[in-house]
Amino acid sequence: MRATDGPYTPRVSILEARGLTKTYHVGSEKVVGVSDATLALEAGSFTVLAGPSGSGKTTLLNLLGVLDQPDSGTLLFEGHDVSGFGERARARLRREKLGFVFQAYQLVPVLSAEENVALALWIRGLPEEECASRACMALAAVGLAGLEDRRPDALSGGQRQRVAVARALVGEPVLILADEPTASLDSETAKHLLDLFEELHRARGVAFLFSSHDPRIVERAERRISLQDGRVVADDRAATGARP
Amino acid sequence: MSRWVRLAARNLRRHARRTFLTGSIVVVGFVAVTMTSGFVSQTFSSLKAATIRGTGGHLRLLDPRAAGKTDDEAAILLLDDWQGLAAIVKKDPRVVQAMPKLSFFGLVAKGEKSAAYIGTGTIPALERNASLASDTVVSGTFLSNPDADEVMLGSGLARALGAKAGDLVTVMATTPDGALNAVDASVDAVLSYPIKEIDDRLLFLPYAVASKLLRSEGKANTLVVLLKDDADVDATARDLSRRLEAKGRPVVVKTWLETAAFYRQVKLLYIAIFFFMGLVLSTVVILAAANTMTMSVFERTREIGTLLAIGMERGQIRTVFLLEGVLLGVVGSAVGAAASFVLRLILNASGIMLPPPPGGTRGNVLHVDFIPLAYGLGFAIMSLTLLIAAWWPARRAARLNPVEALGHV
Repeated sequence: MRATDGPYTPRVSILEARGLTKTYHVGSEKVVGVSDATLALEAGSFTVLAGPSGSGKTTLLNLLGVLDQPDSGTLLFEGHDVSGFGERARARLRREKLGFVFQAYQLVPVLSAEENVALALWIRGLPEEECASRACMALAAVGLAGLEDRRPDALSGGQRQRVAVARALVGEPVLILADEPTASLDSETAKHLLDLFEELHRARGVAFLFSSHDPRIVERAERRISLQDGRVVADDRAATGARP
Repeated sequence: MSRWVRLAARNLRRHARRTFLTGSIVVVGFVAVTMTSGFVSQTFSSLKAATIRGTGGHLRLLDPRAAGKTDDEAAILLLDDWQGLAAIVKKDPRVVQAMPKLSFFGLVAKGEKSAAYIGTGTIPALERNASLASDTVVSGTFLSNPDADEVMLGSGLARALGAKAGDLVTVMATTPDGALNAVDASVDAVLSYPIKEIDDRLLFLPYAVASKLLRSEGKANTLVVLLKDDADVDATARDLSRRLEAKGRPVVVKTWLETAAFYRQVKLLYIAIFFFMGLVLSTVVILAAANTMTMSVFERTREIGTLLAIGMERGQIRTVFLLEGVLLGVVGSAVGAAASFVLRLILNASGIMLPPPPGGTRGNVLHVDFIPLAYGLGFAIMSLTLLIAAWWPARRAARLNPVEALGHV
């Protein structure tokens, strides 16, 4: 099964990278994380950054999610150049336009499921009641209604990842970036999570960008951007039938 | 703000053992501040009482020519008609008594031994009522007859003369016009004054005998006024000064504090010690709490990375960690206040005897005063200390790179 187009026409570019390059220094050695990456993501797209370990998937995801700054290149978000944004502007962009899902769930252990989701709204300074009701709705959307009061340690791995998805979703982002979201899950749970991603993508038109070498994600993505040694080596769209 | 307080509180509760250890340091710090304040306050009270009783009263009335003069210069100036002055002073309802003092020095001899003395002529009944001297009798009985040729000697002076209660001594002095005069007097009592230098020269005798010896009847170096309440000192000093001036008897009125250099020095010393202790205590609390907070930041690096990734402002991250510090300070202070209150009750009921305060003659039962200001101060110091302790770890947390923090193992 592959993701299909949502209610929006996925033609408008929300994110555009032009020649992004990022290098690291490991001791005295210079390591290329991403080199000259150029790509564009459309609204409502369902894309995976694929490649072996060390190919630069996570680095590119961090650059596209404005978590990290490139050494060179330009990043446009909804047509605006954000590569020169300062700390606060980048934090605001992440807060208001993006959602994040991490491999290890990254939930706050002392907060309940509802509070973990509401956290994404707390930081916007929204009123308590609004945060709580929107968090409950987001949890219901990921199939966790009734588990709002549970702390992360009282949830299974799959449930925790769903809470993380709800947290990414609750702020109504235009793009959710997910770094190896199924890596910590068993295959059955991973399948259910991918079903959820597809459902959210279809029903809400949210764009997803995954970083993964999980073949199940690669199989379902409508677009696969392959990386090797930090370079984009292929950009295949399912509709074109270019994927092997 | 409540959501961040909630988050801070839960994080503290999550690391219960660490929170308990740091909180215990805060509690001990708070108890130390309040108990030391209470004890020092009680010591000041004892010292104050001892100082006032040491001079026989709260106010000293001096000859108007003493204004602007040093104590030594003022000491040779005599007030005329102290009885008339005392009659006016005693009309003030705040006054208990007004006692003349005639101060002089000379030689006292017993047989072939003689020694220099510093003498005080006083009214025995008033002196017994007001001063420390009655507490220091080690042998014999305190002066009782206001007109009898009797003396009391400091134990050091008595030892130098080889005199004891019941012996006869010859007291010699120079009159204001330069003539040498002497009186034979029996030793009524030997006193043990707490300051050795004074004890070696101390001699008391009735005012009537002293004035006869000095041929200074009706005159006194000072009129010492004892008040009912310590709180009335300044107001009474002002009122008496005005009233006596209006009646044509201008005097210089000095409060006990103005003449108590020793009290002021001891108080300053205690305050300096207290301040130093507080500084050491605060440093210990800061180091312990900073260590705890740094551990917390280290352990929660990935969590901080997540918070930064989802768009939390660095200022908000800092606030969360600072709140944890302040919350620990507030809760620790609250527990410390309760512990101080209970400990104070226990100590005050214990009946432990303390040695005399500096310059005092009698020890006191341990009593720790309740000082609301110290509780407020303890609360402020501990909260501020924890805020300072949390500052650096909070700053470190807020400055983390989200990518590095997310990858922290």
